[in-house]
Amino acid sequence: MAEESILTDEFLRQLIDVGEADVLVGVPTYNNAATVGQVVQTIRAGLLKYFPRERAVIVNADGGSRDETSNLVRGASINDLQHSTDLNALRTLHSISAEYAGGPATGTALRTILASAELLRVSACAVVSPESTTIEPEWIERLLRPVYQGNADFVTPLYRRHKFDGLLMSNLVYPMTRAFYGKRVREPYASEFSFSGPLAGHFLTQEIWVNEVGHTGTEIALTISAITGGFRMVQSFLGVKPRLDARSADLIDAMRQTVGALFWSLEPNFSLWSSKGDSQPVPTLGGEQEVTLEPLRVNRKRLLAMFRSGVAELEPVLKSILSAPTLAELQRIAALSEEEDFCYGDELWARTIYEFAASYHKAVISRDHIVQALAPLYRGRAFTFLVENRDASGEQVEQNIENFCLTCERLKPSLLELWNGKK
Amino acid sequence: MPMSQDQLWYKDAIIYQVHVRTFFDTNADGIGDFRGLAQKLDYLQELGVNAIWLMPFFPSPLRDDGYDIAEYRSVHSSYGNLDDFKGFLQAAHERGIRVIVELVLNHTSDQHPWFQESRKSKDNPKRDWYVWSDTDTKYQGVRIIFVDTELSNWAWDPVSKEYYWHRFFSHQPDLNYDNPAVREEMWNVMKFWVELGVDGFRLDAVPYLVEREGTSCENLPETHAVLKELRAKLDLNYPGKMLLAEANQWPADLRAYFGEGDEFHMAFHFPLMPRMFMGLKLEDRKPITEILKQTPQIPGSCQWCLFLRNHDELTLEMVTDVERDYMYDQYARDKHMRINVGIRRRLAPLLDNDRRRIELMNGLLLSLPGTPIIYYGDEIGMGDNIYLGDRNGVRTPMQWEGGWNGGFSSADPESLYSPLMLNPVYGFQAVNVQSQKRFDHSLLSWMKRIIKVRKSTPVFGRGSIEFLYPANHRILAYVRQLDKESILVVNNLSSTAQAVELDLRQFKGNILIEMFGRNIFPRVGELPYLLTLGPYQFYWFRLRKI
Repeated sequence: MAEESILTDEFLRQLIDVGEADVLVGVPTYNNAATVGQVVQTIRAGLLKYFPRERAVIVNADGGSRDETSNLVRGASINDLQHSTDLNALRTLHSISAEYAGGPATGTALRTILASAELLRVSACAVVSPESTTIEPEWIERLLRPVYQGNADFVTPLYRRHKFDGLLMSNLVYPMTRAFYGKRVREPYASEFSFSGPLAGHFLTQEIWVNEVGHTGTEIALTISAITGGFRMVQSFLGVKPRLDARSADLIDAMRQTVGALFWSLEPNFSLWSSKGDSQPVPTLGGEQEVTLEPLRVNRKRLLAMFRSGVAELEPVLKSILSAPTLAELQRIAALSEEEDFCYGDELWARTIYEFAASYHKAVISRDHIVQALAPLYRGRAFTFLVENRDASGEQVEQNIENFCLTCERLKPSLLELWNGKK
Repeated sequence: MPMSQDQLWYKDAIIYQVHVRTFFDTNADGIGDFRGLAQKLDYLQELGVNAIWLMPFFPSPLRDDGYDIAEYRSVHSSYGNLDDFKGFLQAAHERGIRVIVELVLNHTSDQHPWFQESRKSKDNPKRDWYVWSDTDTKYQGVRIIFVDTELSNWAWDPVSKEYYWHRFFSHQPDLNYDNPAVREEMWNVMKFWVELGVDGFRLDAVPYLVEREGTSCENLPETHAVLKELRAKLDLNYPGKMLLAEANQWPADLRAYFGEGDEFHMAFHFPLMPRMFMGLKLEDRKPITEILKQTPQIPGSCQWCLFLRNHDELTLEMVTDVERDYMYDQYARDKHMRINVGIRRRLAPLLDNDRRRIELMNGLLLSLPGTPIIYYGDEIGMGDNIYLGDRNGVRTPMQWEGGWNGGFSSADPESLYSPLMLNPVYGFQAVNVQSQKRFDHSLLSWMKRIIKVRKSTPVFGRGSIEFLYPANHRILAYVRQLDKESILVVNNLSSTAQAVELDLRQFKGNILIEMFGRNIFPRVGELPYLLTLGPYQFYWFRLRKI
């Protein structure tokens, strides 16, 4: 039986109307009416300002919003009927919207955007989060220009972030991606990124679409696919990364999307990551990652409490995942009564992750349970990071992250041993 | 062929723009002449044009291609004499071809006897025929038109030791239209030519007739008053004669030149022309529909004049900075192609000699609302010589055949007023009338056919226009309507094949008849009407309810 197309006839009709485009900006949405209007208007301003001559299109892939999301996106069009007074508006700017089937799923949204990019034969395609309310028109240039006029195939962002923002990224996803695949991509799981037309075609042929990562964790899967495919990577500094409401961020989901996808990628790419040595920097445009230091309330005590309870409650699970020395060390630090004495150090944390990765490979228990079991341990590591960097300057924070990355790279041979070992 | 007696004849006209110097030389002096032009009228009749716009042929030092007139009531000796002109005029009328002559109202040559008198002394009777000042600080801020050559709108006259005003070259002093004697004399000039039989005037540089302190000295009410006065006299004494305005202005400013149907009969639509080229390059109808939507309604007796190219540069004054940069990059990368604020190139080279694009642009010219003007030589796809000075590169001799001097003249090639086009692509041996007459599918033959189709109905000249807005922005589609006759025009501005769905429900039940082949297309129903078009293809359909 033929595979069902992810593109509806109505959306295909819209693509026919667009015809061919030079640059495309994709916006995956689901009930984002509160922010998407501002975001698409900024995208439009960026396209008009920096790509006035190019055939440009904004493509919204929507997971079935029940609010005004799609209409707000379409409102960014410039044509005979929706005139723009912007003097840069030389030509028609399409802003089209597709509602894909199956409910909200980032992977399906990204696949829709990729398919659009391929069908429209675009030279450069960017993806922008509908929640990126700090977006400036310049982001569009910084994402698209390195691909459209430079020689980059894949552009990942650099942001100005608070030193305690994106802890999962700085304490796990970035260091591990870097250690596994040898590229220092600071934001491998980004809500903003861009890629070339040929890379869009490459992405669409990857196996991820028939796996779980094709639904969640697609962003990191794409980054890894670009790295393993040997495509030219560039990092581009965008600006302030908006802080999402912490309450809305579900750690388990985040772990599935990032760690799950990262572990999953190790299987098909074994020959590649197992032979990679030290990591290499990725060319950077417009500056390095920036760190801000304003005071921020973080409930550290809760993190530590959840670590302690996790280590205790999940002991049988952790036994099947971790080596005895690692588990013993975790139990030892969990038992420390004084907060000040607690330290989930770089080496222990790196070893923990590698043992989880090997267990994931061997599927010692359900892989999803393995990923979930890492969550409480990550909380303990986050506690240590927050304490150690409480008074650190931006530079010190970055140096500490770099030190952890180097630790991960140094300990990577241990993963290889575990990978092929009995446990 | 008798000429129509309809006083609105200009609405149905297909105008051919030509300089007598460029067309055909009968006395072997290397310069085209009126006898030569008369000899080639059969060619123009065969082409299908029914009006000729003659560029200035008056005595002149020719420092601005004749727009520097030194005598208004005569013919430059290089082109013949007044009798030759009369002979040409009669021959044109016998073929049903009307003749429009140029009248430069705004200024004369500095060699004109009026100016020579005027500069003699401050109390000369003709002193007040021009705009003099003891300072060059009056009318500050008025833009300079020829920015490549002029630094000021004032020039110092060492003879009478005052400054004189000039909006164009400094050898073209502006006449003073605040002086009733000047107005009266220019009316007398018009009368002179009308009584010889000319059918209309193309009035050059009309926005600049009157100057007032604190203004842009353009489009002033006093200027309109002068023009209305001339029009009223013309209507009263010589009904059926036509006035065509050259005013390179935005549509809203141009509107005033039609008055209430009591100023100009026609005016060039300058802003549309670059946007047609822009739309083609962008493969997007937006620039064209946008400027036409901004174009105001004009009185029923009035008409826009449309053109693709003419003797001047492809002017880019009526576009935004972004649009201008785009046009330069796309159509004039070589600096030699640029002059003033525009591009000095002919149609075929502008379109990379792409037959499909040349046809599409002519299709637009002949189907959008207005009277089309075809610049001589563009009907055979002549090229240009961007290495000649000024705009002379688009004013080279007409290419009649592949032999001596391209059939233009029997003089020595070195004595021609301008070098011929010689290169293998556009040279007279490759591009000429004789060779194109031999083939039904030559550009010339195609031009004859499309002009014939255009003339088969008054809809194109007189009908209304309603744009359709199909979702495919590469398709420019509109319906022209006059009384009960409707024509659907669909243009593919893209270099690739396109599908388009048109909402034609208002024409439900009509069948479409393609106007070139007269083939029948399916009947219009309730559903969107699907058409596919090849690269740069266009259709003209007659909508018939049978």
